[in-house]
Amino acid sequence: MANEYYEFFCPVKMVAGFKALEHIPFELSSHDASRPLIITDRGVRGVGLVDIVIKALEAADMQATDIFDDVPPDSSMITVAAIAALYREKECDSILAIGGGSVIDTAKGVNILVSEGGDDLRAYSGTGVVKRPLNPFFVIPTTAGTGSETTNVSVIKDDKTGAKVPFVSPFLLPDAAILDPRMTLSLPPKITAATGMDALTHAVESFTGLAKNPISDAYATAAMKKITTHLPEVLKNPSDAAGRLQLAEASTMAGIAFSNSMVGMVHSLGHSVGAKCHVPHGLCMSILMPHVLEFNLPVSSENIGELLLHIAGSDVYASTPVAERPAKAIATIIALKEEMYALCELPRKLSETGSVKESDLEGIARMALDDGSMLLNPIDATFEQALAVLKKAF
Amino acid sequence: MIPIKKGFEADIDYNYQRMYVSGMMQLISHMLKAGSQVDDVIKTEVADMPEGFVFRMCVMPGELSLTMQKQDGALINLTNYTDKPDLTMSFKHVTFAFLVFSFQEHTAQAYANERLVIDGDLPMSMKVVRCLNRLQTVILPKVVAKKAVKTYPDLEFIQKIQMTTKTYSQFLLNLVKER
Ligand SMILES: [Fe+2]
Repeated sequence: MANEYYEFFCPVKMVAGFKALEHIPFELSSHDASRPLIITDRGVRGVGLVDIVIKALEAADMQATDIFDDVPPDSSMITVAAIAALYREKECDSILAIGGGSVIDTAKGVNILVSEGGDDLRAYSGTGVVKRPLNPFFVIPTTAGTGSETTNVSVIKDDKTGAKVPFVSPFLLPDAAILDPRMTLSLPPKITAATGMDALTHAVESFTGLAKNPISDAYATAAMKKITTHLPEVLKNPSDAAGRLQLAEASTMAGIAFSNSMVGMVHSLGHSVGAKCHVPHGLCMSILMPHVLEFNLPVSSENIGELLLHIAGSDVYASTPVAERPAKAIATIIALKEEMYALCELPRKLSETGSVKESDLEGIARMALDDGSMLLNPIDATFEQALAVLKKAF
Repeated sequence: MIPIKKGFEADIDYNYQRMYVSGMMQLISHMLKAGSQVDDVIKTEVADMPEGFVFRMCVMPGELSLTMQKQDGALINLTNYTDKPDLTMSFKHVTFAFLVFSFQEHTAQAYANERLVIDGDLPMSMKVVRCLNRLQTVILPKVVAKKAVKTYPDLEFIQKIQMTTKTYSQFLLNLVKER
């Protein structure tokens, strides 16, 4: 069905492939920047990923002016203010964020402060408050999942109130995302699997949601194909750099898709499971996805059926009658989950995570109804329906 | 008057659309107030909002708006509220508000079509949208309501008629009281 209306936006330059990091000096100088501040976390620095970037810079006569490596797992306003102070003190002129979702969100917040001025990030909270281009900003993702390098959102905790404050503006997007297989090569199998499933969920939900459009569909379907093809291969052979690169690209493409078309109820439920029981996000996605697709089947069977082509390939798609494609697509995702369980023991059910009790499910269901991502799910779930889906996933 | 065919609004004068949207905003705010007093579903949603919570629905740049606040457990209409509301849902153009208020495009679809900017407390926006959905299923005839909301609930005819009567009665009662 043709869209009544849609918008698509992605101004992020993709710098992707082998030796992508060696392109950073040129990217910096083409933005008239020479004093980058690296923002990262201890884990990323500890496994030597920051060193790889620094060496690539030094070989081109560039230095990181300073490194902040203490970003906590939950980005906070105090951290953002501290990094902004460091940026000003050292007279930096650009940001290189090396890390996952929290590092990237923190760096977006820092860029608001150092470009717009002030120390109080709260002044810029909300939608569309930041209205002009910020300083040069580059993101080097070290997980292949969140897609934060392509989203116009940053969520940062207000340390005073504990509230998670959203910042939304097209100017939060980085100037470039640098995808280099060296950055994800050392990711342990379980995290690789979980983050890969997060990316797959972004693609699947943007393709089946209310805001799908032809351009985001193109990104979503290409991402699905890459993930379902390469995720099992990489889990079997973790040092498969080419496969890692495919996953990194897929994650970014899925990020482009969902930053334009949003996500749905897998995320509503998953955010709530994560908040209440501290189950990693990607793992929640993997566990919940087939159950939510089944729930959405009554109104989205056509879109879910079309998933089959992109997750199982043309042979399977062609040999499956149209009426059976939706069920087959869901079965394909369940089979992928089983394969990942066999390869790296990625839990298949909420009960297998060891963190979720059956008595938690009611609270999770209630919280999920208020999650913004429910808005664009094809069906508005009631409390009872959300609970039923959670019970099936338990 | 409810246009039947989508796209019809393009032929309607913007001034008429503005008048229609303005009238509907008035009506909806009064109906929502009544609903928050008598309708079980809306009452439950409002119960979860913090006391004093303010939300606004408006058309950019802002001259058309409805602003409501939770006071003593129910919603009341605010006029001349100048602070920043906890939640604002702004239509980018009067014609998009017209689409929604003439029940040609439901709120979620309007959001999906980028016609609406939501700023502020997101979990609360889900509650407000559910209140509006409930209101529409209760006060509109089923054929119209089915287009006005994303998912039409399981609602038996008798139940619907009872809630419709209750809400309209409260609406009229409030009007009389306010006189
Ligand atoms: Fe996600």
